[in-house]
Amino acid sequence: MWEFFARSLDASTIFTIAALGELIGQRSGILNVGIEGAMLFGATIGFMVAKVTGNYLLGFLAGIAIGGVIGLLHGFFSITLGGDQVVNGMGIWILGFGLTAYIGYPYTGPLGMERIPDALGLSPFFFVGIALIAISWFVLSRTNLGLKIRSVGENPSVAEVSGINVAKTRYLSVVTSGMLMGLAGAIYALDYNPVWNYNFLMGWGFISLALVFFSMWNPTILLGGSILFGTLWQLSLNPQLLFPNLLSRYIWRTVPFAITIGVLVLMSTKWFSSRWGAAKPEALGQPYEKE
Amino acid sequence: MKLGSYEVKLEKKVNFTGWQATVISILAILFALFLVGFIFLQAGVDPLLGYKEIFSYAFVNAFGLPLTINRAIFLLLCTFAFIVPMRAGLWNIGMAGQLYAGALGAFAVAFAFGAKGALTSDLSAGLVIPAMIAGAAVSGMMVGAIPGLLKGRFNTNEIVVTMMINFIAFWLVSHMIKEGGPFMGSGGEGEGFKLPESIQPPLYQGIPFTIWIALGLSVLLYFVFAKTKIGYQIRAFGLNPSAARYAGISPFKISLLVFIIGGIIAGLAGYHYFATVPGVYKITKNYGDFGDLAFYGIICGLISQGNPLTAIPLALLFGGLTNGGRFVQGKLQLGFGIDYALLGVLMIILVAFQFFFRYRIVWKKMEKEK
Repeated sequence: MWEFFARSLDASTIFTIAALGELIGQRSGILNVGIEGAMLFGATIGFMVAKVTGNYLLGFLAGIAIGGVIGLLHGFFSITLGGDQVVNGMGIWILGFGLTAYIGYPYTGPLGMERIPDALGLSPFFFVGIALIAISWFVLSRTNLGLKIRSVGENPSVAEVSGINVAKTRYLSVVTSGMLMGLAGAIYALDYNPVWNYNFLMGWGFISLALVFFSMWNPTILLGGSILFGTLWQLSLNPQLLFPNLLSRYIWRTVPFAITIGVLVLMSTKWFSSRWGAAKPEALGQPYEKE
Repeated sequence: MKLGSYEVKLEKKVNFTGWQATVISILAILFALFLVGFIFLQAGVDPLLGYKEIFSYAFVNAFGLPLTINRAIFLLLCTFAFIVPMRAGLWNIGMAGQLYAGALGAFAVAFAFGAKGALTSDLSAGLVIPAMIAGAAVSGMMVGAIPGLLKGRFNTNEIVVTMMINFIAFWLVSHMIKEGGPFMGSGGEGEGFKLPESIQPPLYQGIPFTIWIALGLSVLLYFVFAKTKIGYQIRAFGLNPSAARYAGISPFKISLLVFIIGGIIAGLAGYHYFATVPGVYKITKNYGDFGDLAFYGIICGLISQGNPLTAIPLALLFGGLTNGGRFVQGKLQLGFGIDYALLGVLMIILVAFQFFFRYRIVWKKMEKEK
């Protein structure tokens, strides 16, 4: 049973870090629906570099770097060119899904390196995730930089008037956001399940996107939500632990997705949004143009 | 910005003609093909030779051409499933889930008529084939209705909902066709059962009748958008939802309607590929590939800007490229997934080229100071 919870926390780490990346971007007003694409890039490039060099650290760094590049690309389309952020995000996702299927294919199969050792029976990245949550919470709500990020996400024209460089702040957030998504992907491919297969994420990125909506844009709630969904995901992979011989294993795989829809609907009801709806960054998804 | 004696400026475009849009789209496609050429180079293949092989297999070869057309029918239906909600400003990226549902619906009907495990049984084609089409349409519709209903009633984000349904439907198909699922074929290789010959639809030159459904739909949809009240309401809602609401257009009705239509058409795409294409006639092991291909519908939809008639040549082009791409992989010993790489590159180039729809670059000769 401990083994199951340890694996659940490992899974939740990936949701936590990917969704935290999305959260930081969204707090600055940039919506990226292509998390899954950025994660696929981080996972595939990280996996390839680690496999070729035999060095985990290089793999993770490569994953973070490519994630940053993807974040920059999304920033360029959304901030500089001012395009529709949903279209840009879909572009990021389909690019990630299409291109990684091609470039990663020769590396199909297991990583074949010694597993990363556990810390206190858990993946060490669990603690990295907790630390990242704490840092992000501190930066967003207690520092001047956090105030800047939040203000460009709420009302960019007022922020600009008060002397904040909107484009620069948004670029900073969206690149950080991409780096975290890349890291999350690399953790998946190097630690959680070190086997490459084309389009292997099967929905992790989209669930992370939904998790940001569930979190009311608050990193601490995000952590709670990720642990819940990490456990649920792990349970959907191993239903026999709790419910032996009930339904086929394929039916269980649908459960996290169905629950995501259920929670999303609950969050969009009038009852819910009239109580907590104000948490949403006001300028989310809207391009900003300097007057 | 100054370049020599010229000044380069960006100006916001107020409107652009259909002709300009066509030129930009063609340039975007050519640029994407140019970039994919580097993949050929990296694999040690002359890109021109690579494209020549792709196009000659896809559009000239007697084996390749029917495959291309069958693929194009599939992509065209997926495109319509995307553009109907797109005209209302909504994103249906659930074509994959809806077409899986359509395939399951069609085979459920065949199953009910006792088609499983009875390859030689003599079923009435005139009865079973229409029933299978109806089964595909109804199950695609039910799956499509979910995001429409949630969008209309609660304003739930349709991108996340459709994507979640894609995964749910994906695993449901696995449940039905693998490991002793009710639709599992007799071979036990994790495939669906094969349709008996009596209900395999007749072919003309290797093309099933579904081509008429696809072409008919493109004319019908064009007419609906251009000439009817409901088409006008859908477009008005897509351009400005709040203004449309003041004009008495119900957001609930429009959201539900466009997703129902999208779901029905995607369901038919599922029927087309798994029940009418020669050599298939079952839900294949790699059914997930067809869900992935459905995303070409987004590309055709974005390039055609929601015009169902323009979508026809585009679907044919991408049908040919994906079909020929798979062929040259084997012939020229390229890596797997050149069609996937093209999909990704095309999408991001289109995103980048969107910019030219909104701005135009102006070159001005600077006047010499006297």
